[in-house]
Amino acid sequence: MSRIGVFVCHCGENISRTVDVERVAQEVGKLPGVAFATDYKYMCSDPGQTLLKKAIQEQHLSHIVVAACSPRMHEKTFRKAVEAAGLNPFLCEMANIREHCSWVHEDKEEATVKAIEIVGMMVERVKKNRVLPTITVPVTKRCLIIGGGIAGIQAALDIADCGHEVVLVEREPSIGGHMAQLSETFPTLDCSQCIMTPKMVDVVNHPKIKLYSYSEIEQVEGYIGNFQVTIRKKARSVIEEKCTGCGVCMEKCPVRKIPNKFDCNLGMRPAIYVPFPQAVPNTPVIDRENCIKFKTGKCGLCQKVCGPGAVDYEQEDTLIVEPVGAIVVATGFDLYSIDEKPKGSPIKGYGEFGHGKIPDVIDGMTFERLASASGPTGGKILRPSDGREPKQIVFIQCVGSRAREKGISYCSKVCCMYTAKHTMLYHHKVHDGQAYVFFMDARTPGKSYDEFWRRSIEEEEAVYIRGMVSRLYQKGDKIVVMGSDIAVGVQVEIEADMVVLATAVQPQKGADTLAQKLGISYDKYNFYSEAHAKLRPVECATAGIYLAGACQGPKDIPDTVSQASAAAAKVMTLFAKDKLEREPIVARVREAGCVGCFACKKVCAYGAVEEKEIRDRQGNLIKVVAYVNPGVCGGCGTCQATCPSKSVELDGYTDEQIVAMIEAL
Amino acid sequence: MTASKKLLNYAYYPGCSLHASAKEYDISTRGVCKVLKIGLEEVPDWFCCGATPAHNVDELLSLSLCAKNLSLAEEVEGDLAVACAACFSRLKTTQHHLRNNDIQRKQVETAIAAPAPLGKKVKHMLEILAKDYGLDKLAAAVTRPLTGLKVACYYGCLLTRPPDVPNLDCVEAPTIMEDVLNAVGAETVAWSHRLECCGANFTLSRPGVVLQLSNAILDSAKAAGADCILVACPLCHGNLDIRQKEIEGVYNVSYGLPIFYITQMVGLAVGVPATRLGLESMMVNPLPLLKEKNLL
Repeated sequence: MSRIGVFVCHCGENISRTVDVERVAQEVGKLPGVAFATDYKYMCSDPGQTLLKKAIQEQHLSHIVVAACSPRMHEKTFRKAVEAAGLNPFLCEMANIREHCSWVHEDKEEATVKAIEIVGMMVERVKKNRVLPTITVPVTKRCLIIGGGIAGIQAALDIADCGHEVVLVEREPSIGGHMAQLSETFPTLDCSQCIMTPKMVDVVNHPKIKLYSYSEIEQVEGYIGNFQVTIRKKARSVIEEKCTGCGVCMEKCPVRKIPNKFDCNLGMRPAIYVPFPQAVPNTPVIDRENCIKFKTGKCGLCQKVCGPGAVDYEQEDTLIVEPVGAIVVATGFDLYSIDEKPKGSPIKGYGEFGHGKIPDVIDGMTFERLASASGPTGGKILRPSDGREPKQIVFIQCVGSRAREKGISYCSKVCCMYTAKHTMLYHHKVHDGQAYVFFMDARTPGKSYDEFWRRSIEEEEAVYIRGMVSRLYQKGDKIVVMGSDIAVGVQVEIEADMVVLATAVQPQKGADTLAQKLGISYDKYNFYSEAHAKLRPVECATAGIYLAGACQGPKDIPDTVSQASAAAAKVMTLFAKDKLEREPIVARVREAGCVGCFACKKVCAYGAVEEKEIRDRQGNLIKVVAYVNPGVCGGCGTCQATCPSKSVELDGYTDEQIVAMIEAL
Repeated sequence: MTASKKLLNYAYYPGCSLHASAKEYDISTRGVCKVLKIGLEEVPDWFCCGATPAHNVDELLSLSLCAKNLSLAEEVEGDLAVACAACFSRLKTTQHHLRNNDIQRKQVETAIAAPAPLGKKVKHMLEILAKDYGLDKLAAAVTRPLTGLKVACYYGCLLTRPPDVPNLDCVEAPTIMEDVLNAVGAETVAWSHRLECCGANFTLSRPGVVLQLSNAILDSAKAAGADCILVACPLCHGNLDIRQKEIEGVYNVSYGLPIFYITQMVGLAVGVPATRLGLESMMVNPLPLLKEKNLL
């Protein structure tokens, strides 16, 4: 005979405003099997949990129902409390009377009746709950980091310094990401290269970091503590072990005029190249699309001049499997490409700004390359069209960001600050120039940020115009900027020499495809979703996968570095244990009933179903049945719903439990 | 050629301008539809959509005028074809309000003593030509391609704005006019003032403003190398065509840019006789240009 305890939470006023919680406790207390029922203002607080534990011991309770919020919120909290009181945690269930009841109803009487029914269902369900033993799995103490920008580098160094092996995968030929492209950084104006490149060197020299540059994630299998990751190491056409990085191949390459992506297509590079001189690894890669050897079979000059014989035209992509226990996703951002409207995307372009058509309308990253000492102009601000120094420059903020009518409603967070920085860099380099900024609001929360922004106006003479720009067009060698000044209520026209657009920060292209490989969730813009916006900001809902940097949402460098270190700390917490406890919510096969159709195997998203032979004592094969590997099972229940002979059941969600709930209604 | 067996039939709302100052727009619209075998049946007893004055004075009046016209249009089968950009804008705006504002919808239903006419699709002639009839089919129907003619397509304010209301094309960078003109063989120029305001109704109350704004449009079209400007709005036509001579005088410039309605130019290409396009009522004489380009 079960002695069920029911604990009804007020959730401050969140539940009690629309549900008569005392009446719920009274009514539920009358149900058969319920030995104890009470209510409390905050059941999840320390006094609330103490109340629960005391009741278990004093009332000798056998099963617990906590009627409160969603189990996604506090199931773990209460199961832990129940365990502390000496009960198996899986004998505790939550009845969701907040999200499923009080938050969505207005009528108190009706909501109360519904709450009583919800709790009643869970009472019947919990009667059928079994004691489930915790499953332990081993932990592979190696971490995969996807993305070698500042986020990935910071996380890699933190984890490796702690003594754990790190596998760092970067899609581009060099690590460094966007931060390596920046000129100087706000709010201190220290040179991005000077703070970034030493970290890049640390990565390549670290004995615990295994770097795969020019590589991509092909496939991810397994689960927390035990992932198997297949990495595609793209053919570099240069043998990394042999290359000394002398650069002769690049000097001799006859193809010279390929726009360099790293320089936002302003500078040119040869067909065999490193994206920038400080690249890590300093090993060139052959761009096969533009290489004469690959296009016509002739040339082969780089191979001839290479002293160590590192150039290998026959090289092919290789697939490498790396076992890891945790994954940090740090794939970063891309800028909204406004000259082309992405196909099938709800995001609209900015044809009216002529980006891509008017050569001197550039985006913020292009300006960074112009301002960078290592950039294509050696740090001089010059117009891409004619190489002249622009004397009137207009910066336009919120291009794409906060523009619901264009498809993006969020704030890109970094643009206000980097535009203020751009006006300063411009003023430092073009003394007789004038910078104008069109802006909606200046958003400068952050340490020393607002002071920095004020400085751009008060000391660096940038003219800020509150209002948006409707159109840009070329008139002679000027760009006419048509905008409004809403502070004065007039229309403004500025004839500018150059226009810089602070375009929206978007996730990297292919972010959705990677998320599908990893089995993590993402929002409508393809930013990866954290498990909880406030309390679990660096963890994915998928166990063992963590987020760092702008792939989760627009972020500046300080925030990115903080989040990367936080993700690293989470990984190290995981690696602190040798064995990992995991929820025993896994499927079990009733072998007697299983006919071996393996419909379950076909639908299993986790690859957890194996084939198991049943033999008699003489070793004769009787039948082949399904077996669910409890370490791999994700507990989704798809097999249970699929099995034609009802021979698979998910522990904690058995048919018996579900039917009991329905019958209670 | 993608031949569609389905006949296109529309209810037609000409609007007041097309029966008066923009008669040539009406004549050429009917001419084009006749040649392309697009059926137009005029909405019985239609009246003014209220245009700019009504919605500046009384929003309910403005919505009710359009709603009543839409309600009348329901008596004729087919989507509602509109050529005037202002009527198009008012009718679409009315439907937008009635769909999204319950209070206004109820008020309007009381005013017109009928349920809100939301079922009728309102379509601009550009949409009918480019989407319903289809660009391929239109290109195939061309008998006199407008080769060599450089056209500046001028959208004005109302064809695409505000966002989410007309849904004719991209709000700030549309191409539908260029698409139609390219289909009939004309060359379209890239220019800056495609969507700037001509001054519209201020032509009566603040003509100075109109002269300035329309001058900027003419100047920009001329600078882009256009031979003529294409419009889809009687008011734009008035400001650019009727006032062109005055503008030339005030600013001491010379443009000589004929201002065509979209249907006049398409009509020319698909074989509507030039005498049936109302070319004679244009203030800037288009005939020398058309002769020069061998289009007459």
